[in-house]
Amino acid sequence: MLESSADRTPYWQEPLPEDDELAQQVAHARDEHLLVDARPPAETNSLMFRAMTRTGPLFWLMVLGLGGLTFALFATWVIQMFYGLGITGLNRSVMWGPYIVNLVFFIGIGHAGTFISAALRLMRMDFRRPIARLAETVTLFGLALAALFPLIHLGRVWKVYYMFPIPTQRELWPNFRSPLLWDATAITAYLIGSTLFMYTALIPDLATARDHLTGWRKRLYGALSLGFRGTESEWSRLETLSNILSYIIIPVMFSVHTIVSWDFAMAIQPGWHSTIFGPFFIVGALFSGVAAVIIVMIIVRKAMRMGYFLREEHFNAMGIFLLILSLTWVYFYFNEYIVTWYGNLPAERAILQMLTTDASPLFYLMLFCNIIVPLGTLWSRRVRTSLPAMLVIAVFVQIGMYLERVLIVSGFLSRNELPFNWINYTPNWPEILITIGTFGFMALLYILWTRVVPIIPLWEVHEGQSRQRLPRIGRAIVPTRTEPH
Amino acid sequence: MAQEVLLGLFDNLEATTAVLRDLERQNIPDRNIEVMSNVPYAPKVLGRRPTRQWPFLPFVLAGVLGGLAIALFIVVITPRLYPIIVGGQPLTPFPPSAIIVFEFVALGAMAGGFIGFLLQNRYPVLVRQMYDPRISEGYIGVAVRADDQAADSVADIFAAHNAHDVVREDAARYPVQSRRFLAFWAGLAVVGLLALLAPLLLTYNIIDIPWFNQMRESPSIGFQEGPRRAAPAESIPIQGPVLINGQPATEPLPASEESLQRGQLLYEVNCAICHGMQGNADGSMTKYFPEAPVLTTDRVSGMADQEIFMIITLGRNRMPSLAENLTVNETWDVVNYVRALREAGQ
Repeated sequence: MLESSADRTPYWQEPLPEDDELAQQVAHARDEHLLVDARPPAETNSLMFRAMTRTGPLFWLMVLGLGGLTFALFATWVIQMFYGLGITGLNRSVMWGPYIVNLVFFIGIGHAGTFISAALRLMRMDFRRPIARLAETVTLFGLALAALFPLIHLGRVWKVYYMFPIPTQRELWPNFRSPLLWDATAITAYLIGSTLFMYTALIPDLATARDHLTGWRKRLYGALSLGFRGTESEWSRLETLSNILSYIIIPVMFSVHTIVSWDFAMAIQPGWHSTIFGPFFIVGALFSGVAAVIIVMIIVRKAMRMGYFLREEHFNAMGIFLLILSLTWVYFYFNEYIVTWYGNLPAERAILQMLTTDASPLFYLMLFCNIIVPLGTLWSRRVRTSLPAMLVIAVFVQIGMYLERVLIVSGFLSRNELPFNWINYTPNWPEILITIGTFGFMALLYILWTRVVPIIPLWEVHEGQSRQRLPRIGRAIVPTRTEPH
Repeated sequence: MAQEVLLGLFDNLEATTAVLRDLERQNIPDRNIEVMSNVPYAPKVLGRRPTRQWPFLPFVLAGVLGGLAIALFIVVITPRLYPIIVGGQPLTPFPPSAIIVFEFVALGAMAGGFIGFLLQNRYPVLVRQMYDPRISEGYIGVAVRADDQAADSVADIFAAHNAHDVVREDAARYPVQSRRFLAFWAGLAVVGLLALLAPLLLTYNIIDIPWFNQMRESPSIGFQEGPRRAAPAESIPIQGPVLINGQPATEPLPASEESLQRGQLLYEVNCAICHGMQGNADGSMTKYFPEAPVLTTDRVSGMADQEIFMIITLGRNRMPSLAENLTVNETWDVVNYVRALREAGQ
C-alpha cells in the first residue's frame, strides 16, 4: 500500500517544507487562502464562539439605536393605522409607493443568499464556504421583513383576514388568477424552503456549539442539534439533503422574483406590461442581493473580528460576482428601454419623457450608482480587495437599485393612460420613517442573530480545509483541491 | 454475554483507517462500527461501505404527491365549491394553476426530503449516545459495539494505533434509539395538523358553529314579503304613491288657503309651462306638446283626487313623472290648486 504521508497528521498540521523558498511560498499561500490556512478546529471554533458570546457596550449601543429605529417603524405604523393611509403621500394614481418598493427591495436582497449557498454549492465554488450563512441570513430576514409590507400597505390591517381563504365569512375565495396570490404562495414556499435549507446546514454547527458552550446556550443548542454526532451516515444524509434542497430551491428562487415582477407586468400599466420583467427583476434582485451580502460581510468582519474567515479572496470573488451582475443588469435594462423606445407608444413615450425631465435627477443618479460606479471600479483587484472601497460601492449599488424600484413603482404609475390623471408623487414623513425604520429593524434582527447562531458555517470551512492540499509543482507551491467522492 | 461500547479518539485519518482495517479483520460487523468526525469524510476515504441514499426517494415522492394534492385541492376543487367567474375564464385556468402547482410541489418535495432526513437519522435522539465533545474539535471517533471478548481485542487495536483516548463502557448504558422518536414526531404532526385543520374545518363549513350574527343569518324581511311594520317615529318615509288593493296612496290635504297658495306657486313652477297659467293649455311648451290637455274641462273635474295625484306623480302619455319634483304633500297642494282653477275660470 502506498504511504499517504499527508494523513499521518491531522489536516491542520501539515508540515512545512524544508526548503526555505518553498516554506515562504507556503506561508504566503496560507496568508492568502482561508482553505489552506487550516488551524486546529478547537481554535477556529472558539474564535467563532467568543465572537458570538461577546456583547460589549458598543453592541448594546447598536441594539439601542437600532431598537429606536424599530420603534419608529412600529410607532409610525400605529399612527398610520389611526389616521389612515391619507397621511402618506400616496394618491389616486400613485397608489403603490415606497411600501411596495420596500417589498420588492427586501425580497430582492433575499435572493443572493440562496444563490450563493445553493447554486455556488452545486457548482463547488469554494469561496462561498464562509459566506453562505451570512447570505442565507439576509435571505431569511429580507423575506420576513418583505412580508411586513403588504400589511403596512393595507391601511386597515385588521381587515387582513380578507386575504385569507376563509370562504364562509364572505362566501369568497381568494382569486388565484391574481398575481398577488401567486406572490404570496411563492414567497411562503421560498421562506419555508430557505429556512429548511439554512437549518440543515446549521445542524452540525449547532452540535459543535452544544459541545463547547455552557448554560442556556448548551440546552438550546442541544435541543436544536437534535443529537447530531457527525457519524458517516449523518454526514452523507446531510449532503444528500443539501443537494436535494439546493436543486429544488434554485427554481423556486427564480419563480419568486419572476412572480414579484408579474405583480407589475400582469397589469396593463404602461412601462410595466413587459415580457422582460421576469428575468430583469431576477437579475436586479441578485445584483442588489450580492451587494447587500458584501455590506454584511464587511460589517461582520469588522464588528466580530472575523478577519480569519472573511479574507481578501472572498471580497475579490464577490466583487467579480457583482461586476458580472452589473453587466447583466445593464444589458437587461437596455433591453427594457430599447423595446419601449422603438415601440414608441404614446403612453410609454410619456414615461421615457418623465425619466429625462421630472424624474431625471433620480434616473441619472440611478444609472450612475448601478452602472458607472460598479463598472468603473470593480475591474481592479485592488478595489475589490479594499474593504472601504467595496463598502462604498455596495452602498451605491443599494441606492441605485432602490431608486430603480422607486422609478418603476411610483414613477411609472405617475404616467398612466389618462393624462388628466398624471400625479407626481412625493413621500410624506410616514413612508420615510417606516422605510428607515425597516432598515434599522433588519439590522437589529441581524446583529441579534449573529449572537445566537454561528454566523460562519464552521463545518463547511473545516470541510474545505480538509480537502485542500499544497503540493509542489516545479518550484511553486500550488493550492489544490481534492474531490474525495 | 454482556455487550460493551468502546470509543477510540484518533487525531489523524491514517490511524483511523488502519483501525478500521484491523476491526474488519477481527470480523466486527460493519453495522457495529460508527465513525464520527467534525467534517464529512467520504466513505471511500475511510474504506467503508457508502450509506444507502435511496430512502430519500419515497419521502421526496410523498412530499411531491402531498404538495400536488394540496395544490389541486386549491386550484380545482375549491373554485368549484366557491366559484368566482372572471372574464370568461375557465374555473381552473392553466397558467395560474401551473404556478400554484409548481410552488406547492417544490415546497412538498423540500419538506418531504427534510422529513426523510430527520426520520432516517432517527432525530431527535432521546437516548444517551456514545460521543465525546472532542470530536467537534477535530478528533475522529471510532465507536465499536462488541461483546466482552471482542471488546478486549478492540481495545488492543485502539491502543496499537495510538488512540488519543479510549472510553469503554457497558452497552446497557447506551441503548439503541428505539422508535420512541417516532412518537415525538407523531405528536408534533398531530398538533400541527390540528392547528392547520381546525381553521379549515370551520372554513369549509364542515363544523358550522354560529359564531356571531352573520349577515345572511340576521333577521330581515325580504322583498315584498311579510307584514309591513309601522315605521318608527321620525324615520324618513318612503316617498311615492303605492296603491295596494285599491287603498288610497296617501290622505289628501284639505284645500285650505295655505294649501292653495303653495299649490299655485308649485303649479306655476312645474305645470304652467305646458298647461298654462290658468290651466288653458297655452304654456310656451305647447308649441312642442300641442296635446297638453286643458285642465278646466269636465273630464278633469270628473276625475277623483287620487287619479289626478297619480297622474302628477307617475306622468301620463308624454307628461313626465313629477315624483322627483314634488313631495307627497306638495302634490296634494297642486291637486287642490288644479281643482281651484276651474272655479277661478268660471
